[in-house]
Amino acid sequence: MKLNQVHFEKRSLVQGVAGAGLSGAKEAPGVRAVALQPRPPQNSSSHSGLSRVPLLSVLLTLILSLASLSEQCPAAPDTPQATTDVLNAPQKVIVKLFGAGAGSLDSYGTGTLVSPEGHVITVWNHLVSTGFLTAVTSDGRKFGVDVVGTSAAHDLALLKLKSEPGDTFPCIDLSKAIDLEPGAPVYAYSNMFHVATGNEPVSVVHGVIAAKIPLEATQGRWKFPLKSPVWLVDAITNNSGAAGGLLTDSKGAPVGLIGREIRHAASRTWVNYAVPLTTLKPVIETLLSGKKLETPSKDASASVAMISDQELTSRFGLTMLPNVIERTPAWIDSVVKDSIAAKSGLQRGDLIVLVDDAIITSVTDFQQQLATFHTGDRVSLTINREQQLLPVELLIP
Amino acid sequence: MKFIIPPAIRRIAPCSEAPASEHTAPEAPASTLKILLLLVCFLVASTLPASAQQSVLEREAARVEVLRKISPSIVCVMDPKGQGGGSGVLISADGFAISNYHVTDGSGSFMKCGLSDGKLYDAVIVGIDPTGDIALIQLQGRTDFSFATPGDSDQVQVGQEVMALGNPFLLASDFTPTVTYGIVSGVRRYQYPANTFLEYTDCIQIDASINPGNSGGPLFDIEGRWIGINGRASFEKRGRVNSGAAYAISVNQIQKFIGHLKCGLIVDHGIAEFTVETSATGEVKVDQVSALSEAYRRGVRPGAQVLSFAGRLLTSANDFQNVLGIFPEGTRVPMTWRDRDGLHESTIRLRPLHAFRKAPELPEERRQRPPQDPEKQDGEDVKPKDVADEVPASLKSLFVAREGFCNYHFNEIQQKRLMTALRERVATLGDPTPAWIISFVSVEPGVRLTGELTIAASAVGMNLNNRPFLQSTVDPPPEEESPLLPGLLVSMNQLRRLLSGNSAAFTELSAAGQTFHLPLKKNVDVLLTREGVRTCRWYFEEGSALPVGVDVEYAQGVDEARLLFAGWTDHSGAVFPNRIGLISGVQEQLHWLDITNVTVNKPTVVEKKTNP
Repeated sequence: MKLNQVHFEKRSLVQGVAGAGLSGAKEAPGVRAVALQPRPPQNSSSHSGLSRVPLLSVLLTLILSLASLSEQCPAAPDTPQATTDVLNAPQKVIVKLFGAGAGSLDSYGTGTLVSPEGHVITVWNHLVSTGFLTAVTSDGRKFGVDVVGTSAAHDLALLKLKSEPGDTFPCIDLSKAIDLEPGAPVYAYSNMFHVATGNEPVSVVHGVIAAKIPLEATQGRWKFPLKSPVWLVDAITNNSGAAGGLLTDSKGAPVGLIGREIRHAASRTWVNYAVPLTTLKPVIETLLSGKKLETPSKDASASVAMISDQELTSRFGLTMLPNVIERTPAWIDSVVKDSIAAKSGLQRGDLIVLVDDAIITSVTDFQQQLATFHTGDRVSLTINREQQLLPVELLIP
Repeated sequence: MKFIIPPAIRRIAPCSEAPASEHTAPEAPASTLKILLLLVCFLVASTLPASAQQSVLEREAARVEVLRKISPSIVCVMDPKGQGGGSGVLISADGFAISNYHVTDGSGSFMKCGLSDGKLYDAVIVGIDPTGDIALIQLQGRTDFSFATPGDSDQVQVGQEVMALGNPFLLASDFTPTVTYGIVSGVRRYQYPANTFLEYTDCIQIDASINPGNSGGPLFDIEGRWIGINGRASFEKRGRVNSGAAYAISVNQIQKFIGHLKCGLIVDHGIAEFTVETSATGEVKVDQVSALSEAYRRGVRPGAQVLSFAGRLLTSANDFQNVLGIFPEGTRVPMTWRDRDGLHESTIRLRPLHAFRKAPELPEERRQRPPQDPEKQDGEDVKPKDVADEVPASLKSLFVAREGFCNYHFNEIQQKRLMTALRERVATLGDPTPAWIISFVSVEPGVRLTGELTIAASAVGMNLNNRPFLQSTVDPPPEEESPLLPGLLVSMNQLRRLLSGNSAAFTELSAAGQTFHLPLKKNVDVLLTREGVRTCRWYFEEGSALPVGVDVEYAQGVDEARLLFAGWTDHSGAVFPNRIGLISGVQEQLHWLDITNVTVNKPTVVEKKTNP
């Protein structure tokens, strides 16, 4: 509860709907059940249902006190009015991040405020790694950003807005983070596609929790590190710049941190996922306390899959320049006639510069990069042939 | 569907197994409590889910009913060969329908439109708004088309449920529209032109699926009110299919253009002739001002803080871009700004942004290609052949090409509507050559003016407080205007031309849509005339044969003359208003001249006779 900070409008607090799990939303357990059933259709029907049964006043009290019941149940669908009210509060804890990007790496992202002092969580992606981050809060103020701590195992970065002493920010209350069941409706808030600028509210997308499963996904050679389950969402939540956004339940309680744009390792389809805040909570608290996280050395040193020289020749029909120095450039030494490589148009002497969007720095690099694809994938290579950059499409055999 | 149904089904199971650990009722004994709890659990499980399910079913039934009502207004817009295109929505019983410019751009002047009745209708292009990505077409063959009812898109809120209707991927060969459901993800979004001139201002962002072929189709709120036209989506790594971020042009913006589009125009958007930036403190400040602009003449200078523009409070430069983008060129809009001298309020006219003389071409990749199933391979595009020969003559007669217009046929219709009424009104005047001699007084506080106007075919003269002014009607120099009533002489010259009822009195005459007139605060039809360098916008109230006002531009860098006409009265051989109001630019004050006498006479001031 140390993160509790009141910043939301009175109106939303009184309604007890908006920002239910966000800081400042005080809810007396006994009152909450009523507050969560406030909409005319449900209200009237539940009332009439109850009045049909002669109930003791004790029972009525008990019903009211059973706040947790409705929390356990996926909510009844909101009326439009309820929805628009609920959607206002979480907007205030989202920051728009801006940094360095290139090509398909976006120069913008999203963060979620987790402390009144201005701590922000986001995905530990290129935006954080390259530095020079700035953040724009929901009221349009711009801040420099320090990286306080990171956790590779959780793909998480904790940032701190360079605010003036005494500045306070609305934030999520991690102690109110909840877990949901598949089928529960959710909302995703993010700076996707950089649609909103300045003080404009970020984009909200609606969806349903599709599953809670461990995620096996890759982005080039990078593998999603978290072993514990994540939320899969049935809506397109993980768009450009959405990483670090907030997933809430239908009443605004914080649920997850929206992850990267990433493909599933097996199906190669884009995955829309969020990491449960209940999983991240202890990590964030450790980082907030200033402690360093132990880097799981096993993961870091895990051997990287690569296509062997032999396989490269037998499967693809490619022989690369012998890997004699540490960073031998990825030059093609020979191409087997009628092989996949030959059909793609690759030739002896071609230098492989890019595999999809990844820059290839060496033969080893190329062999590792190629290993991330699966049979049937179409990979776009960029080659340098006689000082010209040419695109080549390679079908993985 | 996926969003609504699961909660209702899932509600039953978890409720009945709700943990008892969370309750608090310390006053009750434990055993009693357990029994009561079981009872309560049973009650909650048996009543709430049923009611929730009931409400879901009711809402579903309501939605089905709404869709049944609105589906007949959805148009599948295709090129004349029936090849792919996009979507549209009917807006009136006589077949007018709105679509995207980037949909009709590929179809030419004629198109085939499919409705949910499974039938194909011929349609003709009427007007286009290339910048706003809007096109107006007219379906033929019926006068009882179903049409959509617009809502107020300014009231749309984030989180509100919406439905997009259209024909993505041309899925339905019988033209039954595809419905996708979502929520409003953002409002008042600004989307940059992005290598084209298509600029989405003040648009509605939605997470309903929008795919190729949805373009031009309508967005409805959950009650079936038309709130936008789906035309754009954020596409990136995943290809040109739905990404959960699509944008709809707001219906309130479209409504401001419909009057113009019905005149067969290539409607332009406007510029304010000054730029703004958001300051570090969150104020919207003027960056640069054109020295020839109306804003400059009103006193707008770099550094001034713009508080509101066109009736909307500004908090960012994006706000300014948004509100600027929702008006057609030529609209007069109010603005308030603050500088060292205090608070100021005035109006300015938006100047042309692109001034297209013909329909601009979109880059190939921005055009609406025949929608394809994403699973199909590329390269199946069929190039439409020249189909001019296949268009029936009756349809061909509805299209007239003319430079500066989208379809001049529709401008002629609107011109005719305005000019026929005017001609009938002035037909009884008889000989148009004699001079009109008009006496007027002004009893406005501060200034007392007495004057006499002589309006003849070849010259306009005025005696104002015993000071003479004379102006030739052929290219009159602006310095011959009275400094007390600037622009009055040239306006009287133009008025006399209009009241001749003869279109040939002007070098150009066209219907120019509708506008919200300031200071009348009324929607009026606009008739645009040009004669030499002089451009007049004549304003007609519905049902009035004679104009209620005119704005006359007569020289560059000089304020236009803005006149109001009240109480048109017949005199022997002349028709003239009882009062003429002049709006003087600097203070936007309305100054009334009372007409005391009108006589028709042989020219007195002007001696030279006109030779026709």
